[in-house]
Amino acid sequence: MSDFRISRRTMLAGSALLLASTAMPTIGWAQTPKKGGRLDVAADSEPRNLNPAIVASNGVFFISSKIVETLAEASFDGKDGLDPRLAVNWEGATDGLSVTFKLREGVKWHDGKPFTSADVAFSALQIWKPLQNLGRTVFKDLEAVDTPDELTAVFKFTKPTPFQLIRNALPALSSVVPKHVYETGKIEDNPANNAPVGTGPFKFADYKPGQYYRLEKNADYWGKDQPYLDEIVYQVLPDRTSAASALEAEEIQLAAFSAVPLADLDRISKVPGLKVITKGYEGLTYQLVVEINHRRKELADLKVRQAIAHAIDKDFVVKRVFLGYAATATGPVPKNDPQFYTADVPTYAFDVARANALLDEAGYKKNDDGKRFSLRLLPAPYFNETKQFGDYLRQALAAIGIDAQLVNNDSAAHIKAVYTDHAFDLAVGPPVFRGDPAISTTILMQSGIPDGVPFSNQGGYKNDDLDALIAKASETLDTAARTELYKQFQKKVAEDLPLINIAEWSFISVARDTVRNIADNPRWAVSSWADTWIEG
Amino acid sequence: MNLLRRFLRTPEAIAGAVILAALFAMALAASLLFPGDPQAIAGTALLLPFQDWSLPLGTDRLGRDVLAELFHGARTSLAVGLAAAAAALAVGAIVGTLAGFAGGLADEVLMRITDAFQTVPSFLLALAFVSIVGPSLGVVVAAIALGAWTGPARVARAEVLSIRERDFVAGARVIGMHPLEIAFREVLPNALPPVLALSSVIVAAAILTEAALSFLGLGDPNRVTWGGMIAEGRAMLRTAPFLSIIPGVALVLTVLGVYLAGEGVVETTAAMRGLS
Repeated sequence: MSDFRISRRTMLAGSALLLASTAMPTIGWAQTPKKGGRLDVAADSEPRNLNPAIVASNGVFFISSKIVETLAEASFDGKDGLDPRLAVNWEGATDGLSVTFKLREGVKWHDGKPFTSADVAFSALQIWKPLQNLGRTVFKDLEAVDTPDELTAVFKFTKPTPFQLIRNALPALSSVVPKHVYETGKIEDNPANNAPVGTGPFKFADYKPGQYYRLEKNADYWGKDQPYLDEIVYQVLPDRTSAASALEAEEIQLAAFSAVPLADLDRISKVPGLKVITKGYEGLTYQLVVEINHRRKELADLKVRQAIAHAIDKDFVVKRVFLGYAATATGPVPKNDPQFYTADVPTYAFDVARANALLDEAGYKKNDDGKRFSLRLLPAPYFNETKQFGDYLRQALAAIGIDAQLVNNDSAAHIKAVYTDHAFDLAVGPPVFRGDPAISTTILMQSGIPDGVPFSNQGGYKNDDLDALIAKASETLDTAARTELYKQFQKKVAEDLPLINIAEWSFISVARDTVRNIADNPRWAVSSWADTWIEG
Repeated sequence: MNLLRRFLRTPEAIAGAVILAALFAMALAASLLFPGDPQAIAGTALLLPFQDWSLPLGTDRLGRDVLAELFHGARTSLAVGLAAAAAALAVGAIVGTLAGFAGGLADEVLMRITDAFQTVPSFLLALAFVSIVGPSLGVVVAAIALGAWTGPARVARAEVLSIRERDFVAGARVIGMHPLEIAFREVLPNALPPVLALSSVIVAAAILTEAALSFLGLGDPNRVTWGGMIAEGRAMLRTAPFLSIIPGVALVLTVLGVYLAGEGVVETTAAMRGLS
């Protein structure tokens, strides 16, 4: 017994020492970055196509944004929220028909060839506009890219295109890939899609399926003294519960994109040497929405949609499903957006009695068994939280007499059921807000989108006023007027409820406290990490 | 009575019977003790077990009553286990009897089909079937039966092969009974005991397979299942381990109970045969 006590006391003393030793260096903030070292990171998925110019998604950016750079990156304090990368300056013409980019001098591709405006023109015209999931809408009117000299690229549009939209699209949509690598053969089948060549601070080294991706330092990088790290290794840990143990065992130093489950954060924040970071994802806001199939007669009735909105306790969802790591939503633009958000929209307080009254008014009385009607509810399987919200929503609807039958599908089957076959009544979806409503938000309410386009309005909703508003905003050049139109858009959506916005959330990183310069921009996890360094 | 006394002679059989009886009681009492939807939100979330006596086993992440879910989960596990085993035994016995009694080409064809099913791991078969057809209780039962009927089919065929040479079968032929009538009225009932002896193993395997399917998210999402409860608790294994441990223990006990009781039955019938 006494033996045990002694060992426990020494253990405690030891851990106190450890605490002190890890706490000490944080006092001196203004340290000069140390060069060298390897950063081990948890990766929870293994994208096959690593070309961010084709697949503009966070799973791809997480790895490839270190290799392939964009024209500009999001920034907390830069002008218009941007920081220059491959472009040093950008200017839009007053008629909205052209945008001129001045490019950075002395940038080299990883294979030694110089980076020029021809690469930008090639990427924009051959990849962003025809092939990229997001570029297809934003660059749809891009007609030509003039290259008067090696460091100037002038984008020409057939229709006036708001400069604000192009600016907001730069961080996610403007990955530049080398023309000399992609110009022969079919772009989609190019081997560089699996082993990207870029201008970024790190070069693609190797990939072992099921094990790791390894990136190594680009010694010729244009950033002065950057990058600081020698290597970044992404350890593939598909099991979400294993990232926390890997951090504790010091097998990895960073787990981004909420690889550590929310329920584990409270415990892990108390582990000495690890810190929980909620910053660095401001530009990557996910929205929890209830997608509605307006082809269902009951759901085409505004009163029923209002009743559903009143039946959902958003605070409960934030507190229980997201354990506080989220915010309640009021409309289609998240609260943390600095440019467009307005709070001046109709809101739906949690009020079961009012919801029941609305349903009675709409003419859907309760049957003898207490049910009004039943419908199919398809929660998207991508996140634990969307599935859990599905469970909650079923209960919330039961409280107002709507019998929801859950249908679980895998990702591919869910996308087919909702966006191609329309075999749903309600669905839970996590669309992403990408800094401008025209990039991936208005598509959720606008009518006339062909069947099969994922993450778009496939609920058969059609509102001429809203369509007109979206069309007008897409060709309004004046930033203030355009912003005002999107404020009206938010109001209209909250009034007519083509879908119901519940909450907005982003991701959490957990890192060893020796890893420095993390979360220093609003898209940190998908930025270049050129200035990240490890102490020790 | 004699039978029951013999059955209760072995301690394993008693243990198995007690567990099974408790399980059936749970399943039957589920809607009496916990009326309404067991997935309804009943209290504060993540309440530990034995803190609040109105929610004795605590609550999960959304505040659902773990005890109510456990009781209703017993119902799903038993229903699926028994239904899948019944379906597998019925299909297996019929196929085995036909193959054994008919012989020749029919036997070859049926047994090669059986071989084909036997070479595919039964869990993979169930997984593929549910992912294609879509998860619901009936589909899960069919999926499990799909991988489990081959054992009974082989045993039934072997029995039928020996029975069909007996005198009473020859007698039935002589009086002009239809071959199908002989197969199913005279031969099959006599071939059944060894086939039924497989039932405990099949029920136990079916319960486990159902749990595994639900764990992977392929169970019926509108019903509580133990596998689903374990899967939900897994994300919080370090902070709230009881959410996975409680249904896990229930699952282990159930499978153990079914198996022990099954062993008891087999031994009893074997002893009976020895006596007669």
